[in-house]
Amino acid sequence: MSEFKVVGQSVPKADALDKVIGRAKFAADISFPGMLYAKALRSPVAHGILQHIDYSAAAALPGVAAVLTGKDVPGANNFGIIIKDEPVIVKNGEKIRKIGDTLALVAAENEAIAEQALALIKVDIEELTPVLCPIAAMQPDAPKIYDKGNVLAVRKIVKGDTEAGFRDSAVVVQQQYKTQMVEHAYIEPEAGIALFDGDVVTMWVSTQNPHYDAKEVARNLNIGLNKVRVIQAATGGGFGGKLDVSVQVHLAMLAVVTRRPVRMVYSRTESIKNSVKRHPYTITMKTGADANGRLTAFECTIIGDTGAYASYGPGTLTRSAVHATGPYEIPNVKITAYTVYTNNPQAGAMRGFGVPQVAFAHEAQMDMLAEKVGISPLEIRLLNALRPGSLTATGQYLEQSVGIVSTLEAAAAKVREIKLERRGGRL
Amino acid sequence: MKKRGVGMGCMWYGVGNTGLPNPAGAHVDILDDGTVLVLTGCADIGQGSDTALAQIAAEEIGVRYEDVRVVSADTGVTPDAGATSASRQTYISGNAVRSAARAAKQLILETAAEMLGVSQEEIIAGDRLLKVRAASGKSQAFTDCQSECRVGLGLDSGSDTREVSIAEVIAKCRMKGKLTLGHGWYNPDTTGLDAETGQGRPYATYAFATQVAEVEVDEDTGEVTVLRVVAAHDVGRAINPRNVEGQIEGGCAIGMGYALMEEIKLQEGNVLNCNFATYLLPTSLDVPEIYPLIVEDPEKTGPFGAKGVGEPALIPTAAAIANAVYDAVGVRITDLPITPDKILAKLKEKQNKGA
Amino acid sequence: MDKIKIQFVLNGETRQVEVEPDLLLIDLLRERLGLTGTKVGCGEGDCGACTVLLNGKNVNSCLLLAARVNGCEVVTVEGLGSYDKLHPLQEAFIAEGAVQCGFCTPGMLLSAKSLLDVNARPTREEIARHIAGNLCRCTGYTKIINAIEKVACADRHCACSREAEEGR
Repeated sequence: MSEFKVVGQSVPKADALDKVIGRAKFAADISFPGMLYAKALRSPVAHGILQHIDYSAAAALPGVAAVLTGKDVPGANNFGIIIKDEPVIVKNGEKIRKIGDTLALVAAENEAIAEQALALIKVDIEELTPVLCPIAAMQPDAPKIYDKGNVLAVRKIVKGDTEAGFRDSAVVVQQQYKTQMVEHAYIEPEAGIALFDGDVVTMWVSTQNPHYDAKEVARNLNIGLNKVRVIQAATGGGFGGKLDVSVQVHLAMLAVVTRRPVRMVYSRTESIKNSVKRHPYTITMKTGADANGRLTAFECTIIGDTGAYASYGPGTLTRSAVHATGPYEIPNVKITAYTVYTNNPQAGAMRGFGVPQVAFAHEAQMDMLAEKVGISPLEIRLLNALRPGSLTATGQYLEQSVGIVSTLEAAAAKVREIKLERRGGRL
Repeated sequence: MKKRGVGMGCMWYGVGNTGLPNPAGAHVDILDDGTVLVLTGCADIGQGSDTALAQIAAEEIGVRYEDVRVVSADTGVTPDAGATSASRQTYISGNAVRSAARAAKQLILETAAEMLGVSQEEIIAGDRLLKVRAASGKSQAFTDCQSECRVGLGLDSGSDTREVSIAEVIAKCRMKGKLTLGHGWYNPDTTGLDAETGQGRPYATYAFATQVAEVEVDEDTGEVTVLRVVAAHDVGRAINPRNVEGQIEGGCAIGMGYALMEEIKLQEGNVLNCNFATYLLPTSLDVPEIYPLIVEDPEKTGPFGAKGVGEPALIPTAAAIANAVYDAVGVRITDLPITPDKILAKLKEKQNKGA
Repeated sequence: MDKIKIQFVLNGETRQVEVEPDLLLIDLLRERLGLTGTKVGCGEGDCGACTVLLNGKNVNSCLLLAARVNGCEVVTVEGLGSYDKLHPLQEAFIAEGAVQCGFCTPGMLLSAKSLLDVNARPTREEIARHIAGNLCRCTGYTKIINAIEKVACADRHCACSREAEEGR
C-alpha cells in the first residue's frame, strides 16, 4: 500500500480528453478575423554579407500588408538563450552565417500572396567561404565566422592525475567516436499567431519556453516585458527544438506594424531547414582499468559542431563533459569539450542534451574493457557504478538517491526472465 | 545469415541546468468549494507536466486529482517556471508547486486545528478530508471546540468529531475573511563549475538508467532489427507511472532512430533531407518490444522523492544497440548511425583480416 | 478559376460547398469549415497527421483535392465522438496513455477506426502495419497499439480475452 493517495497513481493525462476530441488548440488552429499570413525570406547562402535588399516590388503587390527588413527591427535585433548572436533579420552590410538566416518578412492577405511577394524581393549577397567542418574551423587560418574566432567555448574538467592513473592501469582502450546531426521531428511544425491589442502584444505559440520568448520579444521590440504576453498553445512535441525563438519575434513585429492579427506556420521543409539540431560530435576517449576491471583513469576530448549560432551549444558541451565518464566512479579524469561555430545549421538542445553522444562512447569503452579483463558487461558496470559516497568527475559527493546499481539489477533480472541471451557469454 | 546479439547501456543525467541557477515559481489558490487552481509557467509539451503538477498539488493539499486544475505557461498570468528542458520540470516546478500548495494548506491547517481542537501536527489531509491522526488522544478542549465549530457551520454537533472536510474548513476561513492563497518557488542546490578544473556541484540530483537491447543483424544485407529493449530507470519516485512508461517507450523509439536510421545530410550547409520522405523516423513497424521498468530510489529533495525521466529515456538506447550489434556479429561501429553499409564494410574488413 | 459545387456527407451531415479546383481537402476542412481537429504535419502525405476517413478508408487529406470528395462520405475526428459520448477508441487512448503531445492523435484514431471497421480482431502486428503511415514522435507507439488492441478485444464481446486465448 502506497504512502500516498494521488502521487504514484496513473491518473489520466489532464490534456488527453481535449486532444482525442480534436478540440485542443494548437497555434495553427487559432485564427482571428482579418488575420494576415506571414512568411520569411531566408538566405540561400551559408556565409556572406548582405549588400543590398530591394523589396519595392513586393511591397507594391496587392494584398501585401507589410514587408520588413533588418532596419525595421526596433530593438536589439539579436537573440539567443546563452549568447545573443542570432539576428532577428540580417541588416544591410551585416553578416549571414547560415542558410536560412532571415533577410525579410512579409505579411499578406493569404499565404499565396506572401509567397509571391517573397519571390519579388531582390537580394545582393557577397559570398564568403563557408566553414563547414568544426575541426577545420578550429585551425588558426580558418575563415572567421565571428571576429572573436570560431571556438565559442572550452569546458575543462580535471580530477586527480590521469598520467599516473594510466601508468597504473593493466588495460587501456582508446577509440574515436563520431555521432551525426539529427532532427527533433516533432510532428507539429513551428507555429504562432500574434495580436497587438491596445499596447500589449499577445501571442499564442508552440513553445517549450514562454517566459524566455517574452523576454526576446520585449528586447527586440524595445517595449516593456509587461507589455508582452506569450501564451503557450497546445504544443505538438518539442524535444528541445522549441526552446529557441522561431516565429515569436517575427510575429510580434508584424502584428505591431500592421495592427492586425498575424499567423505564421512553418512548412515541414522550413521546419527541418531552420530549426536547431542535435550536435554532431567527434569524441576521443581513453579509459584505463586495473586487472580486475576497476576504472583507473579517463581522458576525453569532445568537439561539438554548434553551427552558426550558439543556441544551447555551450550548455550542451558542458553537460557532455560533466557526464562523459558515464555513471561510474573514476579517480583520475581529464575532459576537454569544445563548442565550435561553423556555417552549418545551428545545433542546440535536443532530448539528452549532449549525453546520448557521450553515452554511446563510454558504454563502448566499458564493453571493450570488460572483454579485455575477462569479465561480463554487467560485472564491470556493477564494479564501477556510482554509489552513495562516490565522488563524480566534478568532485561532487553523492549522498543519496544514486540508483544506478538498482537499475542494473532490475534490468538484469528482466533479461533473465525474458531470456535475452548474449552470444559472447553471460550478460 | 541472421545473428542475434544483446548489449547493455547505462547512463546518468543531472536534473536541471548545469551549474546555473534555474528557479521555478508557482501560485496555488484553494477555492471556495475546496477545488484548487495551480498557476505555473511550466510548458506542457505533451510529456505530462500539467498532470504531474496536479498530482503533486493534490497530494500535498489532500484533495483528489480531479479537484485540481493547472493553468500553465501564460506569461500574462503564470509565474516564470523556466524552460521545459533538462528533465527539470517534475523536480523543480514540482517542488515549486508543492511549496506553494504547502503555503496555502498551512492557512487551512491553522483553521482546521481550531475546528478540531488539536495541534496542526496532529492533522493529516487526504481525499478532501482533514483528520486527526489516529494516535492522538482526544482532549476536552477538542470536544468543546469541535462541537462549537460544527454548530457554527450549521452542522450537527454530535456527528464524527475526528474529521472535517476541506470545504468546511474553507467555509470557516472565508467566514473569518481569510483567503487560502500560496506561492512558492524552488531553485536547485548547485554551484558553478571552476573554469580550469570543472570542479563543483553542477546538479542537485541525478537520474540513472540501464537499458539492454536485443538485436538481429543480417550479415548479408547489414540490416539491424531491434527486437526487444529492457529499460530500467531510476526516477526517484514515479508521480504517474503510466506517464513515466510513456516517456521511456517514446525515448527508446527516438534512441533507436538515433542508433540506426536518422541523419541530417548536409551539402555546403544546406539540409538535403528536409522532409519525412527522406529523413526517416521510426514507424510503428520499426519500434521493438519495450519493457519499461520503474526503479524508485527516492530523492530527499524531490517532490515526494521525484527526479526526472524525459531525457534519460533515450540516452542509453543507442549505446545498448551498438553493444548488441557487436555481440551479434563481432564488429564495433564507432560512428552513428549504424547503417547497413557500415556494418558490411566492417564485416568485410574482419573477413579479410581473418583470411 | 471557376469554382466547383460539391456535395458530400461530413460527419453525418450533408454539406454543399463551392471549392476552387485546386483546393485541398485539408484546407477545406480546416480553413473553410473550421474543423481544425485534423492536423497538418508535413503537407506531403508522409506523416498521417491529416488522416480522415473517405468512405470509411483512411486517407491523407493533404493529398486530396476537395473536389474529389463530391458524393462521398468524410469523417474527421470531430465526427468520431464528443465530450458527452466518446468513441471507444477515444476512451481507450485516454485510459491507456496513448496521448502525449496529441498532434498525431486525430489521424491515429481515424486510421485505427478504419482498421477495426474491416477487421474487428487484428493482431498487434496487423495494428502496427495499419498505422505505419501515421508518425508519432512521442510515444514509441506501444501505448497506441495497446489502446487499439483494447478496443478490438472489447468489440468482439470477448468471451475470449487475450489471456484466455494465450492459455488455450
